[in-house]
Amino acid sequence: MMGVIQQLREQAKKLLEEKKVDLVIGFGQGTELARTTPVFIDSPEGVSALTWGPFCANNLAKYLIDYKNAPGNVAVVVKGCDSRSVIRLLDDNQISRDKVVIIGVPCAGQLEWQKVAAEVKPGAGLKETADNGESFSVKTDAGDYSFNKKDYMLHRCLVCENPNPVISDITVGKELPVKNYEERFAEVSELEQMSTEEKSAYWDKQFSRCLRCYACRNVCSVCTCQVCVFDQMLPMWVSKRTNLSENTVFHITRAFHVAGRCVDCGECDRVCPMDIPLRKLNQLSPLGEFKPEDPEEFM
Amino acid sequence: MEARIVKKGQLSELLDKLAQEYDLVAPVQEETLTFFRKVSGAKDVFLEYTNSDVSPKGCFLPQNEKTFNYTYTGDSLEIVKPGDEKKTVLFGARPCDARAITTLDPVFEGEKFGDEYYSSKRENTVIIGLSCSKVLSTCFCYAFDGGPCDGTGSDLLFTEIGDKYYVEVNTEKGKVLADKYSQIFSSQGADQLAKGKEEIAKKLAGEFVRKVDLTGVKELLDDNFELPFWNGDDYKKCIGCGTCTYVCPTCHCFDIFDHTIGDFNGARFRCWDSCMYPEYTLMAGGHNPRPTRKERVRNRFMHKLKYHLDRYNMVGCVGCGRCIRKCPVNIDITKIINDLKEVAQNA
Ligand code: SF4
Ligand code: SF4
Ligand code: SF4
Ligand code: SF4
Ligand code: SF4
Repeated sequence: MMGVIQQLREQAKKLLEEKKVDLVIGFGQGTELARTTPVFIDSPEGVSALTWGPFCANNLAKYLIDYKNAPGNVAVVVKGCDSRSVIRLLDDNQISRDKVVIIGVPCAGQLEWQKVAAEVKPGAGLKETADNGESFSVKTDAGDYSFNKKDYMLHRCLVCENPNPVISDITVGKELPVKNYEERFAEVSELEQMSTEEKSAYWDKQFSRCLRCYACRNVCSVCTCQVCVFDQMLPMWVSKRTNLSENTVFHITRAFHVAGRCVDCGECDRVCPMDIPLRKLNQLSPLGEFKPEDPEEFM
Repeated sequence: MEARIVKKGQLSELLDKLAQEYDLVAPVQEETLTFFRKVSGAKDVFLEYTNSDVSPKGCFLPQNEKTFNYTYTGDSLEIVKPGDEKKTVLFGARPCDARAITTLDPVFEGEKFGDEYYSSKRENTVIIGLSCSKVLSTCFCYAFDGGPCDGTGSDLLFTEIGDKYYVEVNTEKGKVLADKYSQIFSSQGADQLAKGKEEIAKKLAGEFVRKVDLTGVKELLDDNFELPFWNGDDYKKCIGCGTCTYVCPTCHCFDIFDHTIGDFNGARFRCWDSCMYPEYTLMAGGHNPRPTRKERVRNRFMHKLKYHLDRYNMVGCVGCGRCIRKCPVNIDITKIINDLKEVAQNA
C-alpha cells in the first residue's frame, strides 16, 4: 500500500498548495496498530499524516456536512462504499458538488480491527500492509502476519460490488476487478425463512440490548435531519428509557426513515457498541421499497 | 488483612448458593458481548472475559430507574417509592470496575446531597472482585494507582492461582459473607498463597503497552479552560454518540423525567444521559452553553482529569479502556492525556 499512500499524500498536498481546497479529510494512523482515525488536514505540511490500507473502515463522507457552510472547499478520501454516501449527500442537497473534491481509492476490503488486534502482539507498531488477493499481509515491528479476508474482513466487504468509488474527482491506486455476489442478501434471505414469531424473537433479542447511544444514527449519511425525532423533547416521541418497547420504536422508525435511501455502507453496523446487526435490518428489501400493500409480517 | 481459599471446583456451588440467597449479578455472555446481569446460578456465569462490554455500574446506577409513582387525586398527591433494595452480590467485577464504584460514592453519598436510591443499593450489595488474568492493549489502570489485582472497592477479591482462588477479605461486609459460607471459604493455608498473588500481579504489571503520563496535566487544565489543543482533530472527528460515556464505569450523568399515564398518574424516571449530547446542556429558551462538539469533547476530558479531582480528590477515570475500544472514530483518552502532557511541558 506504500505506493497508494505516497500518491495520496502528493495529491492532497497539491490540492492544498494550489488552494483548490482548504481541508483534506482522510485516514491517519490510529492509536492501535489495526485502527485508523479520521484526520483533518489544512496545510500542505500536514499531509504526512495521511495513510491507507486495510484498516480504513470508517466512512468519512458524513463529515462533509460539517463543512458545508465553511468558506473553502473540502476534499475527502472515499472507498467504494463511502462514495455511495457522497452521492446520497449530494442527492439530498446536504452538500454541493462544487464544494467537494472526492479522492477515490479502490478498496480491497477492510479488516475488523478487533479481530486483528486479538492476534497481533499488543503494542506492536505497523510497518506496512499489502493486498494479496485472498489475504492481507501486515508487517509489524514485532513480526509479520497474514489475515485471510474470509475470516477477518468486515461482512460488508465480503459481498462488496463497488470496490472502486462510483464517483470521484481524483482516483488514487489501481482499479480493482468488480464482482457480483449472489449471496449479497443471504443474511436477509435467512431471516425471510423464519416464521413471524421467530423473526420477532430474533429482533427482540437484538433490540433489547440497544443502549440508545445513537451512534448508528450519528454516523449514517442518510440521517441528516437537523433535529432528529429521537432528540425532540416537546413532544418526546421516544423517552430516554431503554426497554424493548422504546428501543423497538427507535429501530423500526429509523429503519423506515432510511428505507429506500440507505446506501448499505455498513457504518451503523460497524459502530454499534452492542453488535446489533443493523445492516441486516436496513437491508431488508421490503423496507428498501416500501409499498402500503406489503404484508405486515415482513420484518 | 485476612485471606481465604476457595477451590475452583467449589465456585459453582458458591455461585448457586449465592443466587439462592441473594440477587446475584455476574458476567454473562450474550452473542459476542459480555454484560453484567442478574443470574439464576453458576450455569449462567461467564468467566472467560477480560473486560465486560458495559461496566457493572448499573448495579448501583441502572440505565433506567423508576424513582417513584405518583397519583394526583385533585386535592392530594400520593407518592409511592419502590420498596427496599434486595440483598445483592455483584460477582466478578474487575479491579478497574470495582475501583470505579469508589469514584461514584462521593458523588451520590456526599454529606450535602445523599442519593437514597444509590445508597440503598450500595449498602445492600457485596462486591466480589475478580483479578484479571490478562491485560488488554487498551488497559491502563496502572496509571491511576490501580492494577489487575488491586482490591480497591472489592469487599472480597478473588485471584485465580492454579486450581484455587486466593481470596482477600477487604471489608467487614466481605468477612460476613465469607464467614457465612465458611465451608467454601477455607482459612487453611491461605497465607501461603499471598506470595503467589504478588507474583501474578507483578507479571501482569509488565504487560501494559499504553504509556500514560499525567505529569502537569491537571495543572495545565487548572490554568487553562481555553487551549488551542481543543481546536485539534479530536472534536472534529467525534460523532457525538456518547458511547464512551455509556460504557464508562465512572460516568454518572442522568436525566430525570416523568412518564404520565392519563392526566394524573405516572412515574418519575431517571436514565443515563451523556455530556456528549447537545440536548444535555440545552436550556429553556434555546441557549446552549456547550454549543458544539468542541465544548462537549473538552468537557468529557475536563471532567475525567480535572473536575472530579477538584471535587472529590479522585481522578474520574480508572483506565478500563472501554471508551478507547468502543469509540467508533478512535478518540483515545491516553493519547489526549499524553498530548496534554506535552502541551504542559512546552508551555
Ligand atoms: S464495502 Fe467495499 S469499498 Fe467498502 S470497505 Fe468494504 S470492500 Fe471497501
Ligand atoms: S449504535 Fe447500537 S446501541 Fe447505539 S443506538 Fe444504535 S443500535 Fe443502539
Ligand atoms: S443505515 Fe447504515 S448502512 Fe445504511 S446508509 Fe446509514 S449507516 Fe450506512
Ligand atoms: S474514561 Fe474511558 S478508560 Fe477511563 S474509566 Fe471511563 S471508559 Fe474507562
Ligand atoms: S465514543 Fe467517540 S465519537 Fe462517540 S461521543 Fe465518545 S468520543 Fe465522540
